[in-house]
Amino acid sequence: MVSGKRPIWFFVGLLLLLYGVVILSVGLWEIPFPPAHPPVLSQLHAPIWWGGLLGVLGAIFVARNRRRLE
Amino acid sequence: MVSLLPLRAPTAPSLTAVLIGAQAKEHLIHLSAVDGFIIASYFAFVVFIGFYVKDRSKTSSDFFLAGREMSAWIAGLSFMSANLGSLELMGWAGSAYQYGLLAAHAYWIGAIPAMLFLGIVMMPFYYISKTHSVPGYLHLRFGSAARGFSAVTFALMTTLMSGINMYSMALVMKVVLGWDINVSIWLSSLVVAGYVALGGLRSAIFNEILQFVLIWAGALLVPILGMIEVGGWGNLRRNIEVNLGRSDYMHLWSNLGTFSDNPMGVHWTGIVLGWGFVLSFGYFTTDFLVIQRALSAHSLRAAKMAPIIGAAFKMMVPAIVIIPGLLALSVLPFHLLPESVAVATGGHSYNEVLPLMLVRYCGPGLIGLGVTALIAGFMAGMAGNVSAFSTVWTYDIYRAYFKPRASDSHYVSMGRWSTVVGVLISVGTAYLVQRSTSIMDYALQLFSFFIAPLFGTVLLGMLWKRATNAGGFWGLLAGTITSIGLWLWVYRVPSALRYVALSPDAKGMAENMYRALWAWIVCVVVTIVVSLLTKPRPTAELAGLVYGASRLPAAEPAPWYESPMLWAGVIFVVFIAINIVLW
Repeated sequence: MVSGKRPIWFFVGLLLLLYGVVILSVGLWEIPFPPAHPPVLSQLHAPIWWGGLLGVLGAIFVARNRRRLE
Repeated sequence: MVSLLPLRAPTAPSLTAVLIGAQAKEHLIHLSAVDGFIIASYFAFVVFIGFYVKDRSKTSSDFFLAGREMSAWIAGLSFMSANLGSLELMGWAGSAYQYGLLAAHAYWIGAIPAMLFLGIVMMPFYYISKTHSVPGYLHLRFGSAARGFSAVTFALMTTLMSGINMYSMALVMKVVLGWDINVSIWLSSLVVAGYVALGGLRSAIFNEILQFVLIWAGALLVPILGMIEVGGWGNLRRNIEVNLGRSDYMHLWSNLGTFSDNPMGVHWTGIVLGWGFVLSFGYFTTDFLVIQRALSAHSLRAAKMAPIIGAAFKMMVPAIVIIPGLLALSVLPFHLLPESVAVATGGHSYNEVLPLMLVRYCGPGLIGLGVTALIAGFMAGMAGNVSAFSTVWTYDIYRAYFKPRASDSHYVSMGRWSTVVGVLISVGTAYLVQRSTSIMDYALQLFSFFIAPLFGTVLLGMLWKRATNAGGFWGLLAGTITSIGLWLWVYRVPSALRYVALSPDAKGMAENMYRALWAWIVCVVVTIVVSLLTKPRPTAELAGLVYGASRLPAAEPAPWYESPMLWAGVIFVVFIAINIVLW
């Protein structure tokens, strides 16, 4: 796409990885310290599995697109 | 760009009323520090991408067409993302609450056939004519009069739509988060102006990819958790029937036999001909905002695949927009209200259904991601309009009529400045639409005024060799005047709606569909008649512009599973199956 630059998928992965780590951390924090007003279905711990999924996807995107384009 | 045909035209709220209502009650979401970090990270990323690609936007081809080096996936996702604007996410979720499953027509018959038609039939002519824009194609096919007319109307439409996007975003931020409306307008404007002016179309496209991923990451959790809560589609259907005491909310077609048997007040002919054909085909095949994304593709096959890939994802958008609206009908312990009633009573309006569902299922962190998804949608729509405006202004107005022989770098510079000016005009428009009684009605009127007749002109231009320059121009003009005239007629004499929309039971939604249909018919008839009365252009002049006068270049060698026709066929079969299952 742009020679000498990293593909856009690298930055997509970076942002997903960042968001995944942050949301997963919040989910883990909420196990010992649950929020005062938990959302519906909070027992499913959505931040943990959704944050984890985003983080894994982000890591895959970053790893696969880390090289600059020729 | 706004998605085609936001539905609540007949009952769309006064924006001022919405604003007053928003001020009257407490905002819906309180952000935590984590949410703030997620939103701030997004803004930082989009500006960074503008700087990152800036040094590759030095020529006009780079700036206005992203160097024509995008892959089919990037062009396709960008095509889709530019179409996923502010009215899309919030508006259609509210429409699903109000009209039920009928709102999903916006994503299926109101989009899929047109997107596939663009990819297979029309894109080759846009691509091989090497034009920079749709008005540019009209110039080659019908001469400068048709080009000038469509360029001016397109520039008007894009700045207005960009302003509507901007104001919608600011309004949502006000209602949902309690942010000051002026801060939202200026912050979003500066960010969009910054990254589009820096990197041109390439920057806009790259950010649209980012926005596409974020929209899904932030919004998909709501239907997943909602479906878990209600226990699946069957339970959702039963709950809605019990809660509403009627069964016509969960069908796509079986309740469209008469105007009065469905919540939308529309007949199936209006859905199929007005919406599925004229408005949908008109928007997806002639609105340069989306076509510009496909034109950035690196090859003809990639350009053909772009709208087809976009169609595949478009078909899935109801999962994050329509289903939350339907889930709200099932699980919310209170009823949402029309905007005017909500303002008067302090209740929640249809417009708030998506943030309400977000709050229901998401805590800190996920709320920030969901709000980022909404912001991303708004900015994608705004940037799409602004980058398209910049191109049409520079090529089809400035270069055509003011400075035809300047250097390439001069036009790039003009592109950057017109981006900034386009954003400033949009800001002005954003403040103007606050006075409008109905923002969605206003948007729909624009589509029927300018897009519906343009579709007739472009369609005949591509498919009929006999169409002449005079025919193209006068047809376009007559169609536009017809549409505006019909609108004025109903505006002055409301009872005229029964003639325009063919039934006394018709509602405003049907008016928009039928007005578009009449405008298209008049455009086509006038184009044909005038063309037959005027001297045809030699066939040799039409090479690369019209079917039957062009030899399309052979497709690049590729395995069978990369065939655009194959994937268009697969998507069309899935589209038919969905309509049958949800009949």
